[in-house]
Amino acid sequence: MKKLLALVLTGVLGVSLLTACGSSSSASSASSAPAETASTESASAPAETESASGSALDKDTLVIGTNAAFPPFEYAGDDGTPAGFDIELINAIGEKLGKKVEVKDMEFDSLVASIGNKIDIAIAGMTVTEERQKMVDFSDPYYEAVQNVIVTKDSAIASADDLKNKKIGVQLGTTGDFIASDIEGSEVSQYNKAVDAVNDLINGRVDCVIVDANPAQEFVSQHTEELTALEGSQFGFETENYAIAMPKGDTALVEAVNQALKELKEDGTFDKLVAENITGE
Amino acid sequence: MTIGEKFTSAFIAENRWQLYLKGLGITIEIAFFAAILGLILGTVLALMKLSTHRNGKPGVMHYIATAYVDIIRGTPSVLQLLIMWFIVMKSSNNGVLVASLSFGLNSAAYVSEIVRAGILAVDKGQMEAGRSLGLTKGMTMRYIVLPQAMKNIIPPMGNEFITLLKETAIVGYVSLNDLTRAANLIQSRTYEAFMPLIGAAVIYFVVIKALTLVLGVVERRLRRSDNR
Repeated sequence: MKKLLALVLTGVLGVSLLTACGSSSSASSASSAPAETASTESASAPAETESASGSALDKDTLVIGTNAAFPPFEYAGDDGTPAGFDIELINAIGEKLGKKVEVKDMEFDSLVASIGNKIDIAIAGMTVTEERQKMVDFSDPYYEAVQNVIVTKDSAIASADDLKNKKIGVQLGTTGDFIASDIEGSEVSQYNKAVDAVNDLINGRVDCVIVDANPAQEFVSQHTEELTALEGSQFGFETENYAIAMPKGDTALVEAVNQALKELKEDGTFDKLVAENITGE
Repeated sequence: MTIGEKFTSAFIAENRWQLYLKGLGITIEIAFFAAILGLILGTVLALMKLSTHRNGKPGVMHYIATAYVDIIRGTPSVLQLLIMWFIVMKSSNNGVLVASLSFGLNSAAYVSEIVRAGILAVDKGQMEAGRSLGLTKGMTMRYIVLPQAMKNIIPPMGNEFITLLKETAIVGYVSLNDLTRAANLIQSRTYEAFMPLIGAAVIYFVVIKALTLVLGVVERRLRRSDNR
């Protein structure tokens, strides 16, 4: 009898725990659905206060999320902290806004879900997609990119048809992942870092790797003997736009960031950063 | 999104439940083969560790086994997996094989300690009795000591199997789509963490609960002869 009672109590506790989280999250998202104003998916208190008080702009420090495995946009710098084009860009934006910037390195696939609770802004060479736009607001695009296909030098892959029924390596949750998953008969291996996928290409575990053009060049340049990067246009991949992701409905923040971005473009800082970090002049 | 829509997008849309199912299959497959390898190798290691020379001093086998257990227990299993994947078995395409091997070698170290403790817990007099009845050392071990040790071994061994099953959650590091990775994957598609993560947690729980029940039955049957 006691056993039964204990079991029932545990069950009730467990269920109430789950529903407690569940109902509050459904409440916040229910309000976000019609007006699309509330902040992101999470039901956490800070996110709600944020949308109530207006904006992440009210804070002195902006917490930035990135995934430092995407050179030259972001990578682990010499001291281990994230460095690269995106990081310098967001620092410059922070300066314009008069905010301190704190950069957090995290998994790419959890960036979008973290905006509005763990982080205020994500800058990670993130492509604007419809699905992501349902969850976050994007700044004006700041960079155009296309996916590349990295293959070994002796590979026969050259067109979209060749990708069918192939083993494809990608980074989890990236545009390359989405493209690869849609290819007919493809067997997709999702890695935490694109460079792991490239390693497995060299080891012969995958037939090709789909990743954004700039990192692709970067990876290939480290293995010029074995690898080559093929242009995405060859495979019919569309051009994508990188943008900065911010909490859904935080228009004040989006406008401020867009304004800062515009100023940086006008005063030449932006081009300077591109030249220093990406085109390597 | 309402909670219902979240549920739909995390489990039903685009047949996503199949991903959890496939993931669970891989998790169980890896854990199963690793457990078998761990059990066999672990028992061998335990016997090596307990082996002595004729003069009663520990022999070279003892030191080999001790070194193995020390090295495996002294390094994180995720590193062992990465080393196995990227270095030792670099040319193998069979992810489940590489992971099973990595976890099996890891588990063996822990199993060996469990087995060793189980054997040591059997009264010394049992060995002496067997020997004085004219059985060889190996025969006494096989027919008298090990069967009794089994009873001591089963409960901590169940613990080890459970740990092993959960530890396989790190295979996402090497792009194997196990249950945890399936949850990650769906989260990366729906940008919604709650449903996939809680869903995967519930599935792990159910599987491990079932395993616990089976182990409980085995344990009870082994103890049946205790109350005479």
